[in-house]
Amino acid sequence: MERSDILAKLRDIYVMAVPDAKIDSESITEDMNLLTDLGMSSINLLYMVIAMEEFFDIRFDDVSFGDFSNVGEVIDYIQKKKA
Amino acid sequence: MEKIYEIKENVFAKYMDPEDLAKIVRYSNVSEMWDDCVKKYGDAAAVEDGSTRTYAMMDEDIASMRAALAEAGVAAGDMVGVYMPNSYEFIKSFFAITTMGAVALLMPVQLDDKTVYGITMGFKLKALIYDAFVEEKVAFAKNTNPNTKYIDNMAAGSDDPGKVYPPAETPCCIMFTGGTTGKSKGAILSHKAIMTGTYNGCLGYKHVFGKRYMIVLPMTHVFGLVRNTLTCLATGSFLHVVRNNKEMFREMAMFRPTDLILVPALAELALNVSRMMGPQVFGGQLETIICGASVVPPYLVKEYGKLGTRLLPGYGLTESANLVSGNAEAEKYPESVGFAFPNQTLKIVDGELWLKGDNMMLGYAGNPEENEKAYEDGWFKTGDLVRIDDEGFIFIVGRIKDIIVLPTGENISPEEIENKFVEPDFVQDAMVFEENGKLVLEVFPRAAVVAAIEAEDKNAYIKAELEKVNMTLPSYQRVTSIVIREEDFPRTPAMKKIRK
Repeated sequence: MERSDILAKLRDIYVMAVPDAKIDSESITEDMNLLTDLGMSSINLLYMVIAMEEFFDIRFDDVSFGDFSNVGEVIDYIQKKKA
Repeated sequence: MEKIYEIKENVFAKYMDPEDLAKIVRYSNVSEMWDDCVKKYGDAAAVEDGSTRTYAMMDEDIASMRAALAEAGVAAGDMVGVYMPNSYEFIKSFFAITTMGAVALLMPVQLDDKTVYGITMGFKLKALIYDAFVEEKVAFAKNTNPNTKYIDNMAAGSDDPGKVYPPAETPCCIMFTGGTTGKSKGAILSHKAIMTGTYNGCLGYKHVFGKRYMIVLPMTHVFGLVRNTLTCLATGSFLHVVRNNKEMFREMAMFRPTDLILVPALAELALNVSRMMGPQVFGGQLETIICGASVVPPYLVKEYGKLGTRLLPGYGLTESANLVSGNAEAEKYPESVGFAFPNQTLKIVDGELWLKGDNMMLGYAGNPEENEKAYEDGWFKTGDLVRIDDEGFIFIVGRIKDIIVLPTGENISPEEIENKFVEPDFVQDAMVFEENGKLVLEVFPRAAVVAAIEAEDKNAYIKAELEKVNMTLPSYQRVTSIVIREEDFPRTPAMKKIRK
């Protein structure tokens, strides 16, 4: 999958997983921090992981979500898993 | 003003199948319960965690862990730590320790290495059972405190010393409680308290035997240990251990649980996931959710009701070995925490709930100052402000320690005001606090409901509606500022709101 495709999908998931979002999903970029920029609570994060696994048909099995600091790293991981 | 309610009658009986009710046993210690479970349910599946163990297989594993403990020098009355994530081994360790008359100290898995060391010293642990997952955090204690024996949770001895059947008042386990502030305290729970809590967990709805439970809450939490794990086993039910919360829904679809024990934040998450992925995420057999540990929004009772699942709010404390009350009629009064369980006496003193009963703790371990503060004339003072109506329904009005005293001298219970502001469906949670002598309300809207609001400026609509609620309050309770939060409130690991 292309990075831009993954990012587009992540934006969709973000809208569902974090509907109380403080930022517009269209403005999400790869360098954004998951917590401070995207404003996700621990429950939002859990929801986001569940949704990403569902939509990309992958498992975050060898990593803890706390290991990711920004959106780009999440995309790296998904790309690696989809390769 | 004082009022005493002595709860002798089991008011839950009328909601239960008479045959089920007759089968429920109130045991006087854990050994007695476990003997009976093995005798009645020997070949039935007991716990699934990777593989499945029957009650009889568990009995053998418990015996060999008892042997390992005895070989490490553990005897009745000794203190033994349990430090590992939720697992079959956790349950096995709990039963091994308590059926040999030793005291299980249940340590939350997120404790750091210095705290683990401090506990081995402070509680003079004879042994600590741990697993590979926390091995690094045990290393410091291992190297520094040689008086404690460190036992791998897969250890198996060969010479089982056998069970002991201690008097009901004997300490069974110690659980940590701290709430959201202050230093955490260890509540000593007797066999009687734990077994009464387990018995109470069996009450409240029609069929309770042979169910399928899943555990998501920590077993170091009284709700996870007593209501979720011990009640499950006491009723010959089958328990599936969820190791990683993100797997909860996949495992639910496979395991098809009938009963879940959840805190409100997780019940809400599950509802949202079911909206995203479809109601099949619950596995199709979910009958009952027992929900507690913080205020249960009536919205959850309603929404789960639509899915054909009854969500029953309950109220309990670590100090009361879990359940004080349970709401068997949640559809009727979703905002109540229900009726008090039997074998307790409730006293209301100036609105505060005081408790006595078979389920109450023996006291806080090695903490005379806290014990001094917690009791009066033998009554445990919960710090919770309650109201009990003529039918016996209990309503939590607030907590004393969260009381705000305004410069005018008025005492404000933020929880009481918050309960008014969470009544509209579009509010998921609310917090009231004092800032410069004025009351501020922060609300976190419920996104699924807000999305359906037909208003151009949704925040303006929400504010206007909350203003209306505000005007229904007595003037001294009215808030002077409303902030709409864009993210959930900060929470403790147990998902409780952290107060400002």
